[in-house]
Amino acid sequence: MRIIIKYILINGKEHKARTAVMLLSILISSTLLFVSFSLASSYESAQEKMARGMSGSATVSIHAPGESDSLKIEDIPVLPLISAKVGMLKESCFYHENGYYETVDLIAADLSQLDEINKPRLLDGRELKDFSGRKIILPDRFTLKYGIKKGDKITLQIGGNPVCFEVAEIAAYDTVFLRKTRGATALLPLSTLSGLFNRTDGYNEILIKPAKGVSTADLINGLESVLPDGRFQVSEIINETQIKADARQKSMPFFLISFFSLTISVFIIYSSYKVITLDRLPVIGTFRSIGATQKAVTRILLLESLLYGSIGGLFGIPVGMAVLKLILHGMGKSLPQGIEIPVVITPFSIIASFTTAFAISLLSAWIPVCRASRLPIKEVVLGTVEEPSPPRHLIIGSGSILFLISIFVPKLVPENMLNLAGGFSLSGLIAATILIIPLLTNLVSIGLEWVYGLLSHNIGRLAARNMRDNKNITQNITLLFISISAVIAISVVGDFVNTYISDVFKGAELQGFADGQMTPEFVDQVKNIDGVHKVLPLFVYKNELHGNGVLFSRLEATDNLEWYNSMLALHYTKPLMEEQAVSAFAANRSILLSESCLKRTGLTVGDTLTLSNGSAAASYVITGSFKSRATDVEAVIPCSYAAIDFGMKNYGFLAYTATDPDGVMIQIRDLFGNTQNWSRTVKEFNEDAHSTVGAFLKPMHSLTYFILLLAAIGVINNLLINYMQKRRTIAMYHSIGLSIRQNRRMTVIESFSCGMLGAAISIFVSYMEIRTIFIVAGPKITMEPALSARTFLMAGASGILITLSGSVIPIIKSRQMKIIEEIKF
Amino acid sequence: MKPLTSTIAVEGRHIVKDFRLGETITNVLKDVSLEVMQGEFVSIMGPSGSGKSTLLYILGGLDSPTSGTIRLNGTDISHLKDEQMSRLRRQKIGFVFQFYNLIPNLNVEENIMLPLLLDGRKWKDYKKKLSYILELTGLSDRQKHTPRELSGGQQQRVAIARALIGSPEILFADEPTGNLDSKTGAEIMHLLHQINEESKQTIIMVTHSAEAAKSSSRIITVRDGMVE
Repeated sequence: MRIIIKYILINGKEHKARTAVMLLSILISSTLLFVSFSLASSYESAQEKMARGMSGSATVSIHAPGESDSLKIEDIPVLPLISAKVGMLKESCFYHENGYYETVDLIAADLSQLDEINKPRLLDGRELKDFSGRKIILPDRFTLKYGIKKGDKITLQIGGNPVCFEVAEIAAYDTVFLRKTRGATALLPLSTLSGLFNRTDGYNEILIKPAKGVSTADLINGLESVLPDGRFQVSEIINETQIKADARQKSMPFFLISFFSLTISVFIIYSSYKVITLDRLPVIGTFRSIGATQKAVTRILLLESLLYGSIGGLFGIPVGMAVLKLILHGMGKSLPQGIEIPVVITPFSIIASFTTAFAISLLSAWIPVCRASRLPIKEVVLGTVEEPSPPRHLIIGSGSILFLISIFVPKLVPENMLNLAGGFSLSGLIAATILIIPLLTNLVSIGLEWVYGLLSHNIGRLAARNMRDNKNITQNITLLFISISAVIAISVVGDFVNTYISDVFKGAELQGFADGQMTPEFVDQVKNIDGVHKVLPLFVYKNELHGNGVLFSRLEATDNLEWYNSMLALHYTKPLMEEQAVSAFAANRSILLSESCLKRTGLTVGDTLTLSNGSAAASYVITGSFKSRATDVEAVIPCSYAAIDFGMKNYGFLAYTATDPDGVMIQIRDLFGNTQNWSRTVKEFNEDAHSTVGAFLKPMHSLTYFILLLAAIGVINNLLINYMQKRRTIAMYHSIGLSIRQNRRMTVIESFSCGMLGAAISIFVSYMEIRTIFIVAGPKITMEPALSARTFLMAGASGILITLSGSVIPIIKSRQMKIIEEIKF
Repeated sequence: MKPLTSTIAVEGRHIVKDFRLGETITNVLKDVSLEVMQGEFVSIMGPSGSGKSTLLYILGGLDSPTSGTIRLNGTDISHLKDEQMSRLRRQKIGFVFQFYNLIPNLNVEENIMLPLLLDGRKWKDYKKKLSYILELTGLSDRQKHTPRELSGGQQQRVAIARALIGSPEILFADEPTGNLDSKTGAEIMHLLHQINEESKQTIIMVTHSAEAAKSSSRIITVRDGMVE
């Protein structure tokens, strides 16, 4: 055993460059995989932290049915399911600075109760004492923005009146101060807030923390069973499944990176091992001739690959941890909310990354090693080994069939099988292309032989001819194809995720919106602003209307469904629904439901639904269902019937288009004056969202560089292998009169052609891969991916550049070549 | 014995070749001088490690001497630059190796035409010549085959055809039968002899085989780096 290990180590030492390339490729794969897994977990954790916001460790919230109703903490009975509870009083006001109004949500609670669920963290680390009267605690993000210091006085507009507060403490932007929307949250003494808003009868909300080991569902069931019907609304604070699903959607590019990096690694290790075993044939022959069994030879060679796998895998994890910390540190800094993203390293990510690195090293070496150890001893010893290969038509036929199946499978399977089909399709497309590449190379070389013959005569023609039936060339093209298509697919999917998440108004016509109470006169004034094209005012019912017992979190009413459709980019479930809904809205009590809401109610299009606000009720016919990223509305009804049935007079939301949306927005803000509102142009909204989401997706761009690095390592590895295998051929050419200059020209033409073909194949296959990815993701998204030709062409050009620059080493090495040494043996 | 012309085809003067292996310097060729006349078929013989192949490669311009001069038809090749040396190899020299050294992914006729193509000549201008060479080497029915589809003897015939296609002034052969069985070896020697006889082709061949050397007009024996 010692001799075998010594033999393996000597091999490693003797082939330093090759060993380094193999180790590096495994290390990078392991690092990438580890970072992808951990980023997804860390991102999930950050999402959860943001989603929990002020709820802290509470998982269930209890509201009174009406906005003005209050809850008392004593209303909630003592249950073994409950660990702690806190009553929260919440109101809103404005902070006015330099003509800009910022919404400040005021909250108050019994501090001893609050501490048990979500204790505020003061910046100076002290405990909160003597917190009473006109005092306020603000988060550092707000105080830093406006240059406010502890002890300063600030004035807030409460109900149109200025109220002065002393800044008692500055808190860290977390716990109760963390929020998902713009604006700030401030903590006031409970007596002060209740006095200011005359809410001495109780709280708006009670937050419940479950006892240890109690699930959210059990807690909700337990509370619902003891609380009287109708007086309390018990709900889950965060939907953990939804958060996980959202996080998974955003971490999709990271997994794609892992997938491609693994594919590249497999190819690098496989091709390296093919050469290694070829190099070692004399040694294998010697081993076999002195009595080593097939198994023993396989074991010796595989032990070497295991060594590479273990070392690469082990070192990949600490490197991954460093990369992860670096990335998350950068992310936390660039998030506008200033949220620190926790570094979540799970045993799963460590074990999975190491095992995968280990496994790919072993499996990639398996085929060439087993094949070599099975060779007849006599042939190996005499050096007369002829590698049997399956018939060409069989390979190409299988490749073509697999390619077609891979394209069509995701289109044909049912929705619940899409992920599986997508995985098969992506792997299938890559595998099929690898099988077809030799045929394509041969066909293209025939064409190029003619073209180069015209352009650079015999040297060009020979370079093109040399590509035909040349395993080194097809290997180069294959690696290039895997790398470039990986970069293209990751870039396109990454950019799409970025756009999809940050640009929710993509495809929507509106250019600005106002969210606040607006009278019809207010809307008329907006319509009369110069340059305004369309104004779409909406009645908004938030948690006010029930439909067959299901509470709608947001229901809107419009008097122009056509504009509503275009302004908010509604995607109807069926194409004909839009037209039917528009005509139905004009004539009848009709209602549109979002697809998720339709699913929740268990109703179907055509059913009748009874809308009720507790005091009035009316029947509406469901005329359609839709998806929209621009609005979180659950139901839409006609304005005229809303006004009759539920007595709404003022509008709650307004969307507009205009020649100068920014100018119109300034005037809308003026119209609101001191009235609470949230008004933004789409551009402003997108900039905010983009800076948040863009920060999350920054790591993906960093990881794309890793893929490029891995691809570059692969190409260099391949060029080294290529040169090693080609040395003899180059020497043969030299022996019959090929000059160094001619060799240089031939190598450059060959490299350029390889790069060009690799790039062309990558562009086509990555387009198919992207289609597969979006077919799989299709049911969950409402937007078509925009494919930029620039991304494809840039990736292709960089592939050509890599191959061309990679040809420098063979050119230099062949200048120093000793012809006799290469051809004699 | 065929009549020889009086022109010198290859002339080597005071050829010395040293190899350095770590600290040790090995004198492979020690002041070798020789002449080969045009149309001559010379065999270089000698025991393993005597320096015969090194001498052949130096004479053929594939290796350079540590000192000394080599003239091919009067041209001193000792100080030629790569471009000039490559042109010389394409136009004036033909080489046949023990292990054939054919380009595996090119077919027979492409392998044969390579020196001409590298020299920038047009395929169509040499169609007749190619047919003649294929006929001469008995490969007419194998022109579209790749080397891996040929036997050892056939591959060596392709190598000879490739060496002859450019009508070289001198044909160098390094143990052309060394990798072949005796029957095939004899056929290859017969072919070389025929070429020398019919077209007065100068041939310098390294061989271990006394049988093969019988086809030549003169034998030069190299022992311990010196011509005996």
